[in-house]
Amino acid sequence: MALNPPSPTPSMFRKKKSSSSLGPMSTAASYLSAVRAADARARARGDTPLTTPALSLSSSVTTSSEDTILDEGEESYSDILTYPSIPPTSEQVYTTVHSEFGHCSNEEYRAVSQHPAGKPVAPHVEQDPPYYVLFTTYISYIILILFGHLRDFSRKYFNPGEFKHLVPHDGYAPITSDFDSFYTRRLKGRMDDCFSYPVTGVAGRTIVLLERESKDSNRTFAPTGRKVRTLNISSYNYLGFAQARGGCADAVEECIKRYGVSACGTRVEGGSLDLHSQAEGLVANFVGQEDALLCSMGFATNSTIIPALVGKGCLVISDELNHASIRFGVRVSGANVRMFKHNDMKDLEDLLKEVISQGQPKTHRPWKKILLIVEGLFSMEGTMTNLPSILELKKKYKFYLFVDEAHSIGALGPHGRGVSDYFGVNPRSIDILMGTFTKSFGAAGGYISGSRVIVDRLRVRSHSHTYAEAMTPPVLTQVIASMASIMGVTPALPTSTSTGTITKSRMPEPEVPEAYPGRALSSSLPTWMDLPPAMREGTEGRDRLRRLVFNSRYLFRGLKKLGFIVYGHDDSPIIPLLIFNPGKMSMFHRLMRQYSTPIVVVVVAYPATPLVTSRVRFCVSASHTKEDIDTVLRASDYVGDVLDLKHSDGERWPLERIMNSAVELVQMEQPSHD
Amino acid sequence: MSSAMASTSANLEPLFSFLAQSYTTVENGFNRIPGSAVIARYVKSSHQNDPGRTVLELVLAVFAIWTLLQSRTRADKDGKNFIQFTEKEIDELVNEWTPEPLAESLSPQEQVELDTVPVFAGAQGPRPKLANSGKTVLNFTGTNFTGLAGNDDIKNKAIETLRKYGLGSCGPPGFYGTTDVHLDLERDLADFLGTEAAIVYSQGFSTISSVIPAFAKRGDIIVADRGVNFAIQKGVQISRSTVRWFDHNDLKSLEDVLEGIEKERKKKKAPLTKKFIVTEGIFEKDGQMVDLPKLIEIKYKYKYRLILDECISFGAVGRTGRGLTELFNVPASQVDMLVGSVANGLASCGGFCAGSKYVAYHQRINGSAFVFSASMPPLLSVSASEGVNILRNTPSILSTLQENVRLVRSVLDRLDCISIPSHPASPMFHIHVRPNTPTLQLPSASGGKPSNPNSILPRDPPQFDIELEERLLQDVVDEALTQGVLITRARRLRGQEMVEARPSIRIAVSAAFSKKECEKAANVIKAALVKVLGKRR
Repeated sequence: MALNPPSPTPSMFRKKKSSSSLGPMSTAASYLSAVRAADARARARGDTPLTTPALSLSSSVTTSSEDTILDEGEESYSDILTYPSIPPTSEQVYTTVHSEFGHCSNEEYRAVSQHPAGKPVAPHVEQDPPYYVLFTTYISYIILILFGHLRDFSRKYFNPGEFKHLVPHDGYAPITSDFDSFYTRRLKGRMDDCFSYPVTGVAGRTIVLLERESKDSNRTFAPTGRKVRTLNISSYNYLGFAQARGGCADAVEECIKRYGVSACGTRVEGGSLDLHSQAEGLVANFVGQEDALLCSMGFATNSTIIPALVGKGCLVISDELNHASIRFGVRVSGANVRMFKHNDMKDLEDLLKEVISQGQPKTHRPWKKILLIVEGLFSMEGTMTNLPSILELKKKYKFYLFVDEAHSIGALGPHGRGVSDYFGVNPRSIDILMGTFTKSFGAAGGYISGSRVIVDRLRVRSHSHTYAEAMTPPVLTQVIASMASIMGVTPALPTSTSTGTITKSRMPEPEVPEAYPGRALSSSLPTWMDLPPAMREGTEGRDRLRRLVFNSRYLFRGLKKLGFIVYGHDDSPIIPLLIFNPGKMSMFHRLMRQYSTPIVVVVVAYPATPLVTSRVRFCVSASHTKEDIDTVLRASDYVGDVLDLKHSDGERWPLERIMNSAVELVQMEQPSHD
Repeated sequence: MSSAMASTSANLEPLFSFLAQSYTTVENGFNRIPGSAVIARYVKSSHQNDPGRTVLELVLAVFAIWTLLQSRTRADKDGKNFIQFTEKEIDELVNEWTPEPLAESLSPQEQVELDTVPVFAGAQGPRPKLANSGKTVLNFTGTNFTGLAGNDDIKNKAIETLRKYGLGSCGPPGFYGTTDVHLDLERDLADFLGTEAAIVYSQGFSTISSVIPAFAKRGDIIVADRGVNFAIQKGVQISRSTVRWFDHNDLKSLEDVLEGIEKERKKKKAPLTKKFIVTEGIFEKDGQMVDLPKLIEIKYKYKYRLILDECISFGAVGRTGRGLTELFNVPASQVDMLVGSVANGLASCGGFCAGSKYVAYHQRINGSAFVFSASMPPLLSVSASEGVNILRNTPSILSTLQENVRLVRSVLDRLDCISIPSHPASPMFHIHVRPNTPTLQLPSASGGKPSNPNSILPRDPPQFDIELEERLLQDVVDEALTQGVLITRARRLRGQEMVEARPSIRIAVSAAFSKKECEKAANVIKAALVKVLGKRR
């Protein structure tokens, strides 16, 4: 399958002038047969060009169709997932595989995410469910716990073999005590079929589950051998760069041929490549900081770099819902930690007053420095940090600000540059911007950016830079290619497009870096990287950003109008839908998976969330089409009725109305708050 | 008077009736709750027996509720250390406070440290091109021991995987980030080593820092080597367990410490807790090798679990690169948690922990770097699987590697201006500057008393001048580079390590070199050492 030629079409969607033998088709089936026929014709001609001039539009529909529809012939198909419900007309050429990145040509289904300038940030209001829901939730947990203990008790006496690893034996203490593992065994175990589901293929718009079953109440799972293609509303694939085809994948392939797969070493001892410097420069440019530093793992970016910033005598103020990696890093650093209520600026200010006036505990000496760590977009809540207010406080209280943009970078803002872009603030007013490449960029690892002084200091002091393996070349290439395609490249067109050789001559015209948020300099990319024009011009990236915002807002508001309690910000691609009762979580998961168009969702519960607010978390992607979001809404509507989840007291619309007025819904003024 | 009272009571009439009515409503409501009768009866009878008890219980209930409502983040406010300030005072204090800068700018020395980092233009490998000079060099840095970097089979597999899976997995293992190729790699590693199971992390360095706290908790006992690497130090720190240290690579000292702990436990009659020995196969800090069979014997004798870090030794020693367990012919299943690096041994990226099924399963929920991080890109996972495959089928790789190591060592071992603490079989070895005026190794003043196991510092820490030695070694590195051989000093986080390691040059030999290249490089390094270190006499 690696043999398919990269499709040379200059934009994801484009009107094509040449007439084609394929007329407009009404059904997916006729579309498919036409594609097959065209395919056969192409094969008979025997021309499968390996490289096509980048600007040529001569490729027939056949080449692109061959590329854009995945046919592995082994899965149980759900047609809508593999074939577009509205077959493209002969005028349209898509360069993406529909099952990876959905075909959507309707320019109405686009939106821009930006905070209206000057408008205060509305506090986030969390809606409470009716009392009977809370009550039954607590009761459920009590029953679960009681039954768990009862079963533990009886097992200990009647079937001690099963408990062997939980009790002392042969002079060894148990590796986990039965108390410590109680939650895992008795509560989580009941819904283990919702976690760690093995998959295969691209985690794009759809994903293929390797079906499994358990015959012993989730203790072990056995694969059934079947593969099921499902709609993927769970992966952190915000901009849809998880693709096995397309400009990024082509660049990565070229990179593997040139560089191999590993950097073989730490950054300071022979693992630094030119690609690292290029990627660091590009990232700094992208986020609008002076310099940046890479780390080969997202978790480690926080856990090994925070200790290089703060230590004894310093204070870290942390949002109570910050990610585990931040807590890990802070704990390693040895700094004191105080937490404030999630996104509560009043609480934060009170805390600041207290800690500055009181100084260090016991000694009352002033703090060496105070570092405030918040996330740009909270991964379990879908809430956005109140950046403008924090910057106001920063002026007064002189703390340093660390924003973890793991989820927001690439996903928010009119240019995809994260929360600072969304709120229209100068990124340099934030001391440290951290982010990961796992999410929006479809790569792996993370970065830290800030002023040159800070980043250089981190190069000397951070654990991972000195001791951890460097980021690998394929990952670096994916980062560079996807980031450049969001930014656009200037000058947009290279002078040579041959892939095999290093470009001979670039225009020697002086290249001035554009001001933030501008395009990337062509010279900052590897010379061999040959991105398709749509990516160089930035049109593709812009399209992805706008599709993501449309999809996010549509699903968020659609779910609200259906009557669900959803948390978070309207523009957040993370949409938590509250379920509350623990028993309903696994049911939600199973019902969605068994829906006529199978959908995979992520359910999260305690300890990742507070005990009562178990939730399902949707992660919207630019790769979804409007029809996909319709499908999710339809399925949620059905499951929500079955499980009695619609507890919101806002205005409700029937499903049909939501689906028919999606554009209107998305363009509605953001409610100041309900 | 009475009329006034009558009128008051008349005025209050509606109030009374309201009170009575609400009382009955509450009572009815209360009675309707299942089990309320029991509570009512309990309250009544206890009040009858002892009215004081009602008050006490009420106070207790209020206290319990109050405690529950206390915000944890506000713990300081009521401490006796809290000083009350007025708003004005607070404002002044806030105005007065000036924080230290978030980061100091680099000292010239640190700047040099950064500037001397080698950067390659193009692929990593045995003969890469340097970015600043464009010169092709023989590369004795990095971790490409097996020479798998740039292997064509691996490249082809990686591209094949890219075209099927894309690059990123876009999710943590728990949420659709576990693909079949990850499971394949875990199975391949477990098979290769001969353990029941394995679990793969997406960064080698973070693996052991996460494995240790997944098992060792507060109150547990960790006995660790004084010379363990930085990642282990961090893992031990985060576990909050009780830590005891034994002398570097000294199993006699280990036994003494274990004896001591056992005695102490018996004396205190402390309950049985989890006990771990944490050490490295080949030490990252100086290339020494642990005597695994002896270590296993001790672990069984004292009933400890063994966490063995094989980040350097996996893929570097043994007939096919299985590491220390293969070298010493010890079944890997006897090591409870065998941690290795996929990045070093298999020229990919990531790390793993092999052990029993339960050990792997436990980390899937409790290994923080596993749970909270995206899984490794599928193509890197497949590359690692292919690496295992190649190692398994090509024992000549490891025999070539050993031959190369022997060649290089045979030239350098004879030099008297340096000392090499590393094991002769280790493909990564360190070169220390031999002190100019050898301090007489007196049978130390302490009379051979053991070090304090509570402290990581040994009783008689070796003395060395870090700054001077680093400078000399950098001169050696520069000199070798002019002759086309790239070596590097071992880079350290000075000031952050629990014990400072002696400055060294770290040489990484690869199976990808020919005999000739090894000889040439060894002679260049030797000449550089003699030139720089000989000068100072």
